[in-house]
Amino acid sequence: MNNNESLTVSKYFENIYNAVKTSLIGMGITIKYVLTTKPVTIEYPEVREVLPDTARMRLYNDAVNCISCNMCATVCPVDCIYISSVPRPKDLEVPKTEDGSSKKQVLTQFVIDTALCCYCGLCTTVCPTECLTHTDDYEYSQYEVDGMKFDYTSEELISWRDRLVVQK
Amino acid sequence: MQTWDMGIPELQESTTDEKLKSELLTVNMGPQHPATHGVLRVEIKTDSEIVAEAIPHLGYLHRCMEKHSESVDFRGVLPFIDRLDYLASMSQEYTYSAAVEKMLGTEVPERAQVIRMMVLELQRIASHLMAFGTYALDLGAFSPFLYAFDEREKILRFFEEISGARLLYNYIWIGGVWNDVTDKQIDSLKNFLDEFEKEVVKYDELVSSNKIFQSRTMNVGVLSLDDALSFGATGPVLRGSGHAWDLRKTEPYLLYDKVDFDIPIAHGQKGSVVGDCFSRYIVRMEEVTESIKIVRQCFDMLKPGPIIGKVPKIIKVPKGEIYMKTECPRGELGVHLVCDGGKTPYRVKIKSPCFTNVSILPHIAPGQMIADFVASIGSIDIVLGEVDR
Repeated sequence: MNNNESLTVSKYFENIYNAVKTSLIGMGITIKYVLTTKPVTIEYPEVREVLPDTARMRLYNDAVNCISCNMCATVCPVDCIYISSVPRPKDLEVPKTEDGSSKKQVLTQFVIDTALCCYCGLCTTVCPTECLTHTDDYEYSQYEVDGMKFDYTSEELISWRDRLVVQK
Repeated sequence: MQTWDMGIPELQESTTDEKLKSELLTVNMGPQHPATHGVLRVEIKTDSEIVAEAIPHLGYLHRCMEKHSESVDFRGVLPFIDRLDYLASMSQEYTYSAAVEKMLGTEVPERAQVIRMMVLELQRIASHLMAFGTYALDLGAFSPFLYAFDEREKILRFFEEISGARLLYNYIWIGGVWNDVTDKQIDSLKNFLDEFEKEVVKYDELVSSNKIFQSRTMNVGVLSLDDALSFGATGPVLRGSGHAWDLRKTEPYLLYDKVDFDIPIAHGQKGSVVGDCFSRYIVRMEEVTESIKIVRQCFDMLKPGPIIGKVPKIIKVPKGEIYMKTECPRGELGVHLVCDGGKTPYRVKIKSPCFTNVSILPHIAPGQMIADFVASIGSIDIVLGEVDR
């Protein structure tokens, strides 16, 4: 169907010869590859790849430094950050974050629905105190979708700070 | 319709004049077929092994991207734009960013422009490597796929270092780029390109010169130049039909008018017919070589300087509309942006190259064998994320 030229006996054998010859050349390349190239794959759970510093994996909000400015929630294109805060009572002392901004609001809830997150990194770029960062932790699969909602004001997640932020 | 209570029909003596009843068999190829490159469903009417008619059905990956863009701010559209053509996200990001920049009148610093050009060409290489690998896989050769992915991985690694993500980068921002490129990364890229140039020669020996591959692709799915133009085909499909049309040359954007490169077109390489599957394939492979040339020239043009121009914190684009088109790996991508002066775009219309390219399928399919049809789908290199948006 492909060739309009008539197929002669000599051409028939020439085609077979060419097919075998070019396939053998290709096979030679593959054998060379097998013998000379080192494996490029790694055995995952035992050997882990070192990710670049810029890697955009799980988000972590350092609740100590968060001033509840709501900028991350505004810029998020998929609206996966839920923040609620109340004004701090006047008789209490206003704590400061590590870079000196005063925390005028009391952060009561900071939830990120990681299942909805698209890891675009826009929220980390607008954060004024740089408390919301992408960490290099990527192993947090859950049995239920609700488990993907992480509240960063909870005790458990605050205790992850040493593992996720300081280590980096 | 026949029902069961009709009983056994009486046998009739057939006369020699009466012909046997024959009808076309309808076969659904996809949406979960490995050879359709995603979720394309092609309804094929076959006459035994010969395709009589092929009707592509789209919409399995429709994600309301255009509508959703109307409800997020101008920066927030970028992550959605990424997800159009997930194999060439940088190109999509650039087209959208350039459209917004033109509306805002932002000046992009020169370093940012060079970095953009560099990542666009690297993305073109990565995308064509994917096309090369999967095309060989479609035609039954497994190992080229692994070689292509090995090299593509190195490019993705570079992208991961500069942007933080491997596929959906959000790297080219309105006004410039996100992160700077360090000298160390440039050095490793130079080493990569030196090695990669040898790999391209190897691909040529391994696949392009292979007689079996040539027999599978040559003179198959021939698209004449007139048809290609009338269907609005762009990119390697148009250049594979022998027309030298590349927006980087014909309507230069970025700094493409300052770099030296050629537009590869099909002219019957290795004895192929202009417009067949092999032409479209070989145009891609030659474009990879041209892209390497451009990236090398970008290294020399890279001067220290700022990487992002002056963009207001909250972007409000003045009222008006713009149509921006660039040359993506798969063809000509257009972004029609309509703004009403607010914080969100009024309309983002994407003119997808894959959508126009997939429309040639019903034209070239009739008369092909099914196996040749698989070769035809592979040669136009579609990404369904962009077709359905």
